[in-house]
Amino acid sequence: MHEMSLVQGLLGQLQQLAAEHNKSKVLTVSMEIGPFSGVVIDSFEFGFGILAKEISLTKDARLIIESPPASYRCCGCGKQIEEEQRPESCPHCSETLFSPEGSDDLILLRVEME
Amino acid sequence: MCDACGCDLKPAHSHDSKVVEVHQSLLAANTAMAAKNRKHFDTMGAVVINMISSPGSGKTTLLEKTIETLGGDIRIGVIEGDIETDRDAERIRAKGVPVVQLTTGGACHLDAAQIHKGIHLLEKEKGGTEIDLLFIENVGNLVCPATFDLGEHHRMVLISVPEGPDKPAKYPKAFHSSQLFVITKIDILPYFDFPVEEATAEALQLNPELQVMALSATSGEGFEQWLDYLRKLCN
Repeated sequence: MHEMSLVQGLLGQLQQLAAEHNKSKVLTVSMEIGPFSGVVIDSFEFGFGILAKEISLTKDARLIIESPPASYRCCGCGKQIEEEQRPESCPHCSETLFSPEGSDDLILLRVEME
Repeated sequence: MCDACGCDLKPAHSHDSKVVEVHQSLLAANTAMAAKNRKHFDTMGAVVINMISSPGSGKTTLLEKTIETLGGDIRIGVIEGDIETDRDAERIRAKGVPVVQLTTGGACHLDAAQIHKGIHLLEKEKGGTEIDLLFIENVGNLVCPATFDLGEHHRMVLISVPEGPDKPAKYPKAFHSSQLFVITKIDILPYFDFPVEEATAEALQLNPELQVMALSATSGEGFEQWLDYLRKLCN
């Protein structure tokens, strides 16, 4: 459940941003969570729901999460395959080894504050 | 209704609101600290390995045996991560190498800031500034530690025979982000249904560049390959 400590980091960053821009309330927080980040989006939302309420700055904030799709590059023919799950074998050459491609990062995209 | 423009969008809509484009990783602070740690390790001349596995997969036993066999040639140090107790550090200290125990007090992983403190604590230990090979034994957990760069040079993931061969498929991030996969406790293979080839194939499907080895710290089987790997890293 490392999502909780990631949310704590996010809230710290929001407090810093609010201070920099002289704002007292966060309205929306937009995040991008990569398909290989190892972060469970439900758990992240759950953690945000609990921890954001404890701070007046973020108690009414809405969290918007974008999650870009994963893709896999075939180690045989090098073609890129867009699939949610790792394919069993390559539809082009029947190779079974793939390199996963896609972000493993969590990015704070933008914050709306007042 | 909103007084300024007459729209119905309340309360999410505000005329005093400002949108700030940030586009920064949540892990940026950790990654920056990890880069500092890596620089520190390079200055020390130490090669650093981050060990990630479930609890009870044999990380500490592997380290004990490694220190016993390599300790004379290579100066080894250890940073231990656990939620509570210094039991693992006590076991390592008994082998006569510098060791620091970090207790996370409930957190499920080590992060770069904790390791930074760990380096400075290690420097106060006897021999703590003269280390060729530093192991960071992460908190026993196959999920959360995989997200946090500690500044290590190499990352290894361990699975013990009793855990079953399907761990790579179930915990992909640890395998994506590692360079080495070690299967431990192979001396008890006759008593478990653990097809080594299947576990290896599953891991390679997730990360084709992963180096794989199987060993037992108890019987010594496969251990020479592991020691060779470490010797090469330190050369």
